[in-house]
Amino acid sequence: MPSTKKSVVARSSAGKAAFDTINREKRFRNPPADKTAFPALQEAIRPHVDSWNAVFREGGCLHQAIQEIGEKTVFDRLDGNAETGYGNKLTVRIANYYLGKSMLSSRDKTAMKREIYPAECRERHSSYRGQLQLELHYKVNNGEWQKEYRDCGLLPLMVMGNRCHLENMSPKALVDHKEESEELGGYFVVSGNEKLIRMLIVNRRNYAMAVVRSSYAKRGPSYTNMGVQIRSVRPDQSCMTNVIHYLTDGNITFRFSWRKREYLVPVMMILKALVDTNDREIFEGVVGLDQREDTFLTDRMELLLRTYKVYGLYSRHETLAYLGDKFRIVMQVSPDISDVEVGKLFLRKIVLVNLQDDGDKFRQLLFMIKKLYSLVAGTCAADNVDAAQHQEVLLGGFLYGQILKEKIEEYLLNIRSQIRSDLMGGVKVELNSPQYMRKMLGKVNERIGESLHYFLSTGNLSSPSGLDLQQTTGFTVVAEKLNFYRYISHFRMVHRGSFFAQLKTTTVRKLLPESWGFLCPVHTPDGSPCGLLNHLAHKCHIATTTSDCSSIPPLILTLGVHSAKVLPVPADATLSVQLDGRVLGWCSPRDARRVADTLRFYKVEETHGVPKDLEIGYVPISNGGQYPGIYLFSQEARMIRPVKYIPLDKEDFVGPFEQPFLNIAVTEPEIKNNDSHVEFDPTNILSIVANMTPFSDFNQSPRNMYQCQMGKQTMGTPGTAIRHRTDNKMYILQTGQSPIVRAPLYNTYGLDNFPNGMNAVVAVIAYTGYDMDDAMILNKSAHERGFGYGTVYKTEKYDLAEKSKSKTPVLAFGWGWAAIGADQNALAKYKAMRDKYNGTLDDMDGLPMVGQRVVEGDPIAVYHNMGTGETFFFKYKGSEGAYVEEVRLLGNDVGDSICQAISVKFRITRSPVIGDKFSSRHGQKGVCSQKWPAVDMPFSESGIQPDVIINPHAFPSRMTIGMFVESMAGKAGALHGFAQDSTPFKFNEDHTAVEYFGHQLKEAGYNYYGNEPMYSGITGQEFHADIYLGVVYYQRLRHMVNDKYQVRSTGPVDSRTRQPVKGRKRMGGLRIGEMERDSLLAHGTAFLVQDRLLNCSDYHQTWVCRGCGSFLSTTPTVNGGERRAEVRCRRCAVKASEFDVGKKGYWEDGLGNRYLGGSDTTIVVIPYVLKYLDVELLAMGIQMKYDVSP
Amino acid sequence: MDGFDMMDSGTDGPIVTIRKADAMHADFVLSNVDLAFANSIRRIILAEVPTLAIDLVEVIANSSVLPDELLSHRLGLIPLESSNIDEKMLYTRDCDCDGYCERCSVVLTLVAKCTGDQNVTVYARDLAVAAGAQLGNPVLSDEAGKGSIICKLRKGQELNLKCIAKKGIAKEHAKWQPCAAVSFEYDPHNKLKHVDYWYETDAKTEWPKSANAPWEEPPAENEPFDFSAVPTKFYIDVETVGSLQPDEVLRQGIKYLQEKLATVIAGVNKTAGAGAGGANGGGDVNGMDQDGYGGARSPDMGDANGYRNFNDGYVTPYGGAGGGGAGAQTPFGGYGGGGYSNGWP
Repeated sequence: MPSTKKSVVARSSAGKAAFDTINREKRFRNPPADKTAFPALQEAIRPHVDSWNAVFREGGCLHQAIQEIGEKTVFDRLDGNAETGYGNKLTVRIANYYLGKSMLSSRDKTAMKREIYPAECRERHSSYRGQLQLELHYKVNNGEWQKEYRDCGLLPLMVMGNRCHLENMSPKALVDHKEESEELGGYFVVSGNEKLIRMLIVNRRNYAMAVVRSSYAKRGPSYTNMGVQIRSVRPDQSCMTNVIHYLTDGNITFRFSWRKREYLVPVMMILKALVDTNDREIFEGVVGLDQREDTFLTDRMELLLRTYKVYGLYSRHETLAYLGDKFRIVMQVSPDISDVEVGKLFLRKIVLVNLQDDGDKFRQLLFMIKKLYSLVAGTCAADNVDAAQHQEVLLGGFLYGQILKEKIEEYLLNIRSQIRSDLMGGVKVELNSPQYMRKMLGKVNERIGESLHYFLSTGNLSSPSGLDLQQTTGFTVVAEKLNFYRYISHFRMVHRGSFFAQLKTTTVRKLLPESWGFLCPVHTPDGSPCGLLNHLAHKCHIATTTSDCSSIPPLILTLGVHSAKVLPVPADATLSVQLDGRVLGWCSPRDARRVADTLRFYKVEETHGVPKDLEIGYVPISNGGQYPGIYLFSQEARMIRPVKYIPLDKEDFVGPFEQPFLNIAVTEPEIKNNDSHVEFDPTNILSIVANMTPFSDFNQSPRNMYQCQMGKQTMGTPGTAIRHRTDNKMYILQTGQSPIVRAPLYNTYGLDNFPNGMNAVVAVIAYTGYDMDDAMILNKSAHERGFGYGTVYKTEKYDLAEKSKSKTPVLAFGWGWAAIGADQNALAKYKAMRDKYNGTLDDMDGLPMVGQRVVEGDPIAVYHNMGTGETFFFKYKGSEGAYVEEVRLLGNDVGDSICQAISVKFRITRSPVIGDKFSSRHGQKGVCSQKWPAVDMPFSESGIQPDVIINPHAFPSRMTIGMFVESMAGKAGALHGFAQDSTPFKFNEDHTAVEYFGHQLKEAGYNYYGNEPMYSGITGQEFHADIYLGVVYYQRLRHMVNDKYQVRSTGPVDSRTRQPVKGRKRMGGLRIGEMERDSLLAHGTAFLVQDRLLNCSDYHQTWVCRGCGSFLSTTPTVNGGERRAEVRCRRCAVKASEFDVGKKGYWEDGLGNRYLGGSDTTIVVIPYVLKYLDVELLAMGIQMKYDVSP
Repeated sequence: MDGFDMMDSGTDGPIVTIRKADAMHADFVLSNVDLAFANSIRRIILAEVPTLAIDLVEVIANSSVLPDELLSHRLGLIPLESSNIDEKMLYTRDCDCDGYCERCSVVLTLVAKCTGDQNVTVYARDLAVAAGAQLGNPVLSDEAGKGSIICKLRKGQELNLKCIAKKGIAKEHAKWQPCAAVSFEYDPHNKLKHVDYWYETDAKTEWPKSANAPWEEPPAENEPFDFSAVPTKFYIDVETVGSLQPDEVLRQGIKYLQEKLATVIAGVNKTAGAGAGGANGGGDVNGMDQDGYGGARSPDMGDANGYRNFNDGYVTPYGGAGGGGAGAQTPFGGYGGGGYSNGWP
């Protein structure tokens, strides 16, 4: 017997799913001083940090962007400079930028430690920023460049980026700087919140995509829905989309947008402007030798060439001049440069900006035309823009860099417009005088840092060009630390763009096979963002650098590719070979496969200078499929993932473009003859959170989706540096446990540092009826021992600066004083006030005492007017009682002001109550319906009572078999004392989970299938059926009744309708809607309807005139106080004279007008809105008349 | 009923066979009793045997990482030595004092501070019972004799707590539970067929034999099913948390069961008239509250004219009217007039 038991233990602990408690404990006590224990976590956020570093490193994107911006010129138009006739010319450019680390302002003269660390910013509700400085160069006419350093405000810095103090810190050093030992970074600290720029899906760069889109036909008459689109990206990561459109007559136009306006140019004009060429060269460039008989193509080419004749532009020079003339104004160029120069600038800034060489641009444009005609002829299919194959990821750092580039360019343009406005405004403009220049620059808006801060805190993009993006809002999100799953998910989240959220079609939301291994098929929310908000598979990386591909062009020539520069191209070389949108050469279909395979072999082998992350997209010739060719990609923003390359048995990185044309086996045994790759692990396609669902392969797929949702809503452990955080709201589970059933990845990602739930003994039984309809019964004793005990931390900032408008402090914390010379009464009142709050507030400083319990209306802090001595209080808002956990006194950034703000962290205890939500890890959520006394709970023979009872009806329709397996595995794990591996796809038909865990259960003396006979706790009788009893990891969700319940008898009403207001926050009522009303009517409870809709709503009594049937003509009488005032109808009354005084029915209104009659009035009950309606209708000239009877 | 008869007959009373007993366990076979009795014992020892546990904590200083309420919760769960508590202590609610006094509580103090660089772990043994207290020492059943961990202190952190332990029962809070778990089994061979074993292919091979199976004869092949048989032999294992010895838990349990029965009997006697119940029960009714319970009664319906109050009509905001019976008008006539009143006495 003991020997078999041993074998059970050995078998399970062989996996990596083991408990790691001792090591965890050691790491907690002594965080490693060298490197992190969880490199996988750092890998997960790498795209964010790396993209930031790529922008701000030496020679990074921002340096390139500054080069790209170039020079701006302005003329003073004063003393006629003979050369140009525009006066003196001022040229400005940014030569360099400097971005400092986060430091104390130089105005602070006292501090010794001048670094500002992120933790301080979080605690102070401030932002983590560094000084941005631009090196501005300017010269007048052809003089010397003058240097000027301009401070451009504080730029928010990415935590852990290359401007962060924390970069490369060891876990120990991080803990010393009040961070988590596993702090990841990748976000910005903005006003105390952690904000990150979320990743966006955009079209794949530098690849000409054939697109069929109905909106293309709306560009103008004779436009068709067909076009070829290319998103060209410059080395600084800014981009420009070019589209060529097919017109019904066979012609092609070139479209681009510049500063949010669209322009259309005949494509021939672009071709002719790019190089000195002739019609024959263009014809041969498009029509291959093999296509000479293709009349469809030749007809169209002929037309293209012929229709262009109307422009009468033949040479390159003529064309450039023509383009320059047309776009001079649009491009806002200096007036002194020639049209040809403008034309060249046009080509540089707009046409295929990823390429520098005009010849390359020419060849790529010809290729696009070829592809477009092929699309029209139907010999190739349109590319699917919704497929991951044609997508890449716009990373936060790159977007940030692009915005910064645009702001810097705007700054130069602002200098120009400042000088112009000076000229117009009659200011003496002396470009040669440094005094003038300094004064002028002082007037230019230099607050670049602030505008980036605005971008981060609102997520709104204000850009003159729109950055070639389809949205202007929603770029940033708060990285909520609700629990660690949610936190890490933010960094793995990829959004399709909020533009697509409004789309009625659901095609963009579809899960396409192209995303296999790149985007997690499980981890997407349900509801409106479903399919648009995806998460990266946990092994998916994103490239953030351009690999060195200098050896590729010569290499492919040796492999039999015909160079693109050498004409003519042989007849059989029909497939183009492109590297990042540059046509390198042409290759015959026969050779193409060999070329691609050889390149891949070299790539994995890491020889011949082929970079390891090069994407080799070989699209073979097909019958009407994707346009063939070999497309190589080496640049940033591509998704790549590791798979094993079988020929070399080594790691290869594949991208989504090449993946559809590769044969990748999922598991080793499945490898077929033509498979070139095999997955390292089938779970590589799942995201981090989806991987944490135990035995997810046993569940119905939507349940796994729900679990991904609920895992992120769990009250867990947001972190360990909670002392140094001031999040608005933080949920903490105080009794978290390490799950018995877990995937090895749980340890890899260090999730044991952040437990998310509790191992609960769960019985599946319909016991009391209180477990119906997804309710669950909690064992009262388990609850009393701390099951699911949670705490909510809330931070509130109390700011005196907001209370007064003055710039210098008027208010101060602390007790005020009774005014000098105050009378006895006032003094007594003052004393009483102080005595009253002595217990709750600190007597000296008037600040809250730590540990103090507060309820709604209690004073939190005292402040006073420093002039008058008047005392005020900050009161505690919030219906729940709370304890004061921490009090922070916040100074200003410079430290030269008295304390004007405090931040108080409250602790709200949330022990589970009836109505709180729990869930297992299988999308099985339920609400606690009872806390059942332990003695009344069913028990097993060994006396074990379940912590949780759930109803068996939760299973048949949901088919969460994984939960049963987890229950068995958990039970066996608990009995043997080891952790169980729950990785999906580990079991199969021959080796089933039931057999495996059943065997373990049997070894422990339990039933093979996890059932146990149980006894009723009430009678002690054995149940007729045996009960499924096991250990399941339960999560407590953050949705708690205490945040949701809503009840009122009376309360605030809307001032216009006098009906109860809505909303829980405002103490509003619950609406009895049409359907509710209908059901009350159907029940025949008419009085209930009246009670709800009238008496408890806007019940109102009003006077009405029986005669004319109007509410509004009634008015109270004024009789000089002799008699009781009555209400009469003015409409029915007649004007009376002084002789009528005293007659029957005589009355006066408040103005002294005299009337007779109109006394047939009475009081009726109406809903108040009726009166409102009456008045509204009156305003439109409609009178309402009521019959009042009897 | 049968069980009581057997008990009363005296010739064939309950038989207790103790299989194993130590400081924490009492494993025994209870036979010749009926199911209700055995289960009552189980329920009583789980929920109604009083023990001592920390109920109030006065926090003088707590600079540890645990919030006050969490610390108090942990302290409450520490088992305290509480044998013979009934003789030594009163419930606070039965005591004359305001708040608490030495007759109804035991005061434990916990003072700890970390001054060195090494973290200090505070254990249950660090709880100091007030001098002269007859019970209330924390139970230290681990080998090192430290008891459970209360919290850990870092340099400069301190605890200064005054814990007031009170008498209570587990029905109120699990911290007063004297037992961890009570295993309870009968009919290991399922001769009574109370449970219908689920099986994939064969129940015999899939279901492991209970550890108690050797204590009973397995059913013979083709043994006829005795449908009138009732369980009489119960295998019970009481595992305590250390606050009470297992035998005391049981003795106390029986005592409280008797008391409860006495209450019922006294109540039955009062309603049924003296003598009728007395002849049967003969329980000890000493100290019972004679005015305790009159028989079953619905609230406010006992009196003779209970429902007639309806006829007085009711008041609505529109003046519907009072006693005169001119209630609101419905298609069926007024409430007050006739209609409904016919149906009621």
